[in-house]
Amino acid sequence: MAHEQLNPTIDKILANIEKVMIGKRNVAELSLVALLAGGHVLLEDVPGVGKTMMVRALAKSVNANFRRIQFTPDLLPSDVTGVSIYNPKEMEFQFRPGPLMGNIILADEINRTSPKTQSALLEGMEEASVTIDGVTHKLQKPFFVMATQNPIEYEGTYPLPEAQLDRFLLKMKMGYPDIHEEIEVLNRAQKVPPIEDLQPVIDLEGLRALQQEVKEVFVDDTIKRYIVDIVNRTRGYGSVYLGASPRGSIALMKAAQAYAFIFGRDYVLPDDIQYLAPYVLSHRIILKSEAKFEGITSEEVVNRVVNRVPVPVQRLVK
Amino acid sequence: MKRDFPTFLLYTFGFLLLWEWLRPVEQLTDTDHIETFIVFLIIAFALSYLQMKWFWQWLIKIVFVLFSINRFHYKGGFFHSGWLGSFSEDVINNLWSIVARNWNELSNEFRTLLFFILMWIMVYLIHYWLLRQQRIFIFFFMTIIYITVLDTFTVYDAKIAIVRTVAAGFAVMGMLTFFRINRRENSNSNSAFIKKWMVPLVIMVAFSVIVGIAAPKAAPIWPDPVPYLKAAGNKGGSDGIGGISRIGYGANDSRLGGPFIGDDTTVFTVESNGKNYWKVETKDVYTGKGWLASGSTTIDFRQSDLVPVLSIPSNVETTNETAKVNPAGEFVSYVAYPAGIQKFIDFQPNLPEQYPIQIDTNTEKIRNIGNVDYTVDFKVPKYQAVDLRKTTGYDPAVMNAEFYKRYTQIPEELPPRIKQLTEEVTASETNWFDKARAVERYFGNTEYTYDQKNVAIPGGKDDYVDQFLFDTKTGYCDNFSSSMAVMLRSIGIPTRWVKGFTGGEFLEYSRDDETKELYTITNNNAHSWVEVFIPTQGWIPFEPTKGFSNSINIDFTSGQTSTNTQTPAPAPVKKPEKKPLEETANVKKDNSFDIRDIWRNIQLFFKNEWKWIVFGGMLAAAVIALLYRIRGKWFPYLVMLRYRFRKKDETIGAAYLILLSQLDRYGLKRKENQTLRNYARYIDTFFSTREMTRLTHRYEQYIYNQNLPEGSWKETRELWENLIKKTIA
Repeated sequence: MAHEQLNPTIDKILANIEKVMIGKRNVAELSLVALLAGGHVLLEDVPGVGKTMMVRALAKSVNANFRRIQFTPDLLPSDVTGVSIYNPKEMEFQFRPGPLMGNIILADEINRTSPKTQSALLEGMEEASVTIDGVTHKLQKPFFVMATQNPIEYEGTYPLPEAQLDRFLLKMKMGYPDIHEEIEVLNRAQKVPPIEDLQPVIDLEGLRALQQEVKEVFVDDTIKRYIVDIVNRTRGYGSVYLGASPRGSIALMKAAQAYAFIFGRDYVLPDDIQYLAPYVLSHRIILKSEAKFEGITSEEVVNRVVNRVPVPVQRLVK
Repeated sequence: MKRDFPTFLLYTFGFLLLWEWLRPVEQLTDTDHIETFIVFLIIAFALSYLQMKWFWQWLIKIVFVLFSINRFHYKGGFFHSGWLGSFSEDVINNLWSIVARNWNELSNEFRTLLFFILMWIMVYLIHYWLLRQQRIFIFFFMTIIYITVLDTFTVYDAKIAIVRTVAAGFAVMGMLTFFRINRRENSNSNSAFIKKWMVPLVIMVAFSVIVGIAAPKAAPIWPDPVPYLKAAGNKGGSDGIGGISRIGYGANDSRLGGPFIGDDTTVFTVESNGKNYWKVETKDVYTGKGWLASGSTTIDFRQSDLVPVLSIPSNVETTNETAKVNPAGEFVSYVAYPAGIQKFIDFQPNLPEQYPIQIDTNTEKIRNIGNVDYTVDFKVPKYQAVDLRKTTGYDPAVMNAEFYKRYTQIPEELPPRIKQLTEEVTASETNWFDKARAVERYFGNTEYTYDQKNVAIPGGKDDYVDQFLFDTKTGYCDNFSSSMAVMLRSIGIPTRWVKGFTGGEFLEYSRDDETKELYTITNNNAHSWVEVFIPTQGWIPFEPTKGFSNSINIDFTSGQTSTNTQTPAPAPVKKPEKKPLEETANVKKDNSFDIRDIWRNIQLFFKNEWKWIVFGGMLAAAVIALLYRIRGKWFPYLVMLRYRFRKKDETIGAAYLILLSQLDRYGLKRKENQTLRNYARYIDTFFSTREMTRLTHRYEQYIYNQNLPEGSWKETRELWENLIKKTIA
């Protein structure tokens, strides 16, 4: 969709990110999709491919409060959410906010920590608030979590339960840069990292406004029907044990709205749905174990499903 | 249940079907005020449609029913006190009668009430069938059975009713099927789907109805059972006379032929000086299948007036006689009278002095006397052969041209061999009278046979007279009389066809009056014969039927002219009035005859030209198939022309889809899972343009955004046309 005119603000943000990130434009786009749609991203990748750099660039571009949590097995929920400490001078408990109280949070290696701590994070993501010592603290808005998960280490990890994975709007892989890109990476590594020089494109207020605009992107009934058709098909698919839920349909629609918005459209196309479906749906379906043994991945399943659903090309007549 | 238009249509059709049950009731029973019941039906259906609370529905209906009963059966207004009391008393009495099974004692009020209740139940049932069960076939089928049975066994003519019923029935069944499918599939009834269903439905119903009406139908293998069984094997068979089943007299001479069986039911008895033929009516238009009256002009006359029929001219010698007629049947819709009738001189029981007796001056048929004995005064002519032989040709001076034309009418398609035969038969004669006698004799002398049973019905294009004269040569009075009348007409001698009765059987001498004789006339005596018009002499009866003779008194002896020859004044020929005073059954029959005529021509055309038609049909099919094969070459031009003048931006919707199918035919198929954008890029790569992508953007806006910039079709049309052109190349 290269020929499409990007939304100017988004264009600037992406340009900002590209200053520090080489290639990986689609990852940047998808992260923006999640940010604009008010969702969260699960990045499944090995360390060292530039996740942190990208999130930081994104946070800088929207002038957001960036926090990073490195999950370890001994991390406690209070380390994430914050803790109340007794202040002897004031004779009362004072709340010290944890790293979750930022706008953009990088939750690194989320599968390394105990389920208790994981669920503290997941609760925050779902409810946009945390409860500590009986007091509910609203999280800041916008609130965007980019969690990473190392897919190759299993020793000493606590994989996220599949049912909890659908807290994330999108799941994606970053992947390695290609040869030219990697050379360019080396070139840049010789200089001072430009991340400190990045100028914000919009402030948080502006970002909230964009989020509002995204909600108003028009989704025609034909598109809704298309979304439902796709999600429905995952439920009856042969190698699928559990298909995507209606929450998956909602997620697909919201993501599509944001994606359309990024490309300067105020309405959603079937192309948006086709593009986003693997990212939105693949972590929401559970494959049968036979299928796993055969090496079928959920991305493949989603792609096959999408290929089988006819694209709506006529108006629904009412 | 919704209050939408389809439901309204369903109710309308339900109402129409139910109405068909009511229509015959009015005609066949002595139920009056049928319109009130129809109004009740409308109200009941409307209330049901509007889904009023049951309380209001019941209230409105009950008030309507009570009001109607009050209006029919009680004097004094609705608010007149006491009638409700007596009505409820009546209802209770009637309920007891029902319990006691005294069906005949039910009062009219109660019957009306029952009828209303029946209507009420029927409306509910139809509502139930239509909207709950969504099946109405049984009711529709019963309606058809009901109408056809009534048509067969009663006077009810269901020709139109059956068309109405079939149309309404099929329409409603089609709609119900649609709703059932809709419900089963749980699909949204969007308007396109409805259109897809309803348009073919309407076309199919209309087509089948039109074909049903218009298609030529085989003549019935069996004759209409009721006239056949009941009527009268009148010895010559004007089939209307004997049967009480037809309204009026001789409703159906338009198609003659077919066998008859005897019926010796007495029609009337006569007390007279001698045996006479008894006329009932005359007809003047020969159709090729039978006889019709050219029109109907009914006038009234009083008992004291001369009966306004064309009487015997004064220059013919006559003697006066009287005869008393005593009808036997209950239904007398016609009056039999002797030729030369002057006056009715007595009625038993007496009719009022000023009682208007009706006569149709066109057919000379007298009506509405009712079941009374009547005495007629009539003249018996004594013709002089010399006077009769004077006329040798048509002379406008003595005969009104219109009159002449009317009584020498023959159908255009009358086979010419009839005229040839007539000319042969009458070759040796010079004047009209002798020619008529020659034709009359011709039937007696040759191989013609009188038979009531083995008589053919003329087929689709047969002429009734022609068939008898040349093919079958077997028949009864209708065959003989019609043939003679038509033969004479074919050589320009004015004739008319007369229906009535022969003189009947002698019973005994009258006990009151020694000179009088009593005759019994039965249905077997029904007969038809011919009258020939001879200027200055009037209508002279002839009897061509084998084995019958008419006692007409002609003096052949005198070589001289008769006593009254002074100045042979032109006969007082009345100019036949043809003002269409009334819309009559006869006129209607003319119309139906015309349609049949056209159909006969069409059938003939098909029969003669079928090879060409088959060839033409095959050629047309081949051309259509070829055109369909190469539709990719010409169809787009047509489409382009069509869309060139469209202004609406929404045009892109249909146009784009046409482009898609055109590209498909061209070989650039879009995969089902391919998005339009993706496909557009593929097309653009193929044609190395950017037009498809630009067009597709517009179309995406149209379908996925439901929003098009004003005037966008004008811009996009060019893109679209270019692409269409590319697919033609």
